[in-house]
Amino acid sequence: MHSFGHRANAVATFAVTILAAMCFAASFSDQFNSPSPTASVKILNINWFQKEANGNDEVSMTLNISADLSSLFTWNTKQVFVFVAAEYETPQNALNQVSLWDGIIPSKEHAKFLIHTTNKYRFIDQGSNLKGKDFNLTMHWHIMPKTGKMFADKIVMTGYRLPEQYR
Amino acid sequence: MDWQGQKLAEMLMQLLLVASAVAAFAVGYAMADFQLMLLVYAGGVVLTALVTVPNWPFFNRHPLKWLDAAEAERHPRPQVSAAAVAATGGKKKTGKNK
Repeated sequence: MHSFGHRANAVATFAVTILAAMCFAASFSDQFNSPSPTASVKILNINWFQKEANGNDEVSMTLNISADLSSLFTWNTKQVFVFVAAEYETPQNALNQVSLWDGIIPSKEHAKFLIHTTNKYRFIDQGSNLKGKDFNLTMHWHIMPKTGKMFADKIVMTGYRLPEQYR
Repeated sequence: MDWQGQKLAEMLMQLLLVASAVAAFAVGYAMADFQLMLLVYAGGVVLTALVTVPNWPFFNRHPLKWLDAAEAERHPRPQVSAAAVAATGGKKKTGKNK
């Protein structure tokens, strides 16, 4: 601490060390947040349902997606990525996941929403397994914090069923 | 900056930085505003640098009191023994310089 440069260096290094500790503490404070998100998806209409030339089933549907994810946001949350996936079982695969819609929620004010949309990404089965198929619609989300570890969670909504016939 | 001043500067630096970090975290958490925490802490770091980096007068309140040159001459360095003198080739320096 005998010279100007030595003291400046000491202040800078200790300041950055403490900044790291503060970021760690901010990340740790997220542990005390116990979120209670809600979500529901309604299928308003099966627009069409067909077998493509290559033998894969494809379905187009109109969805009503509503959710309240505002309790996921803390002071350390930068944004939340959310997507809705159709999940079902086929003889080949125990779990098939097809993303139908996604979105980025930039702030708590936008975390409560109701969206009326057709599926943003195509719902195609790799095969022809969709006729009369029971499936789940699952809302997944990834919480991206300002500092610290990303968290992911989901809400599974069951009891959806595709038509028995192509249309 | 004297010895006491250096000790004081280091203590002040650590105290101010930790205090501003605690204050910044408390304010940021209470207001749920991450950016505010960073701004408060940045202010604390600038303040700390201003207080502890320049050589302020209050870091120089305990100057070292050196003895007079005359006092040193009245108490000459202990003489080296004859055997050591022979081994090192005499003590020309001290003999000639003063």
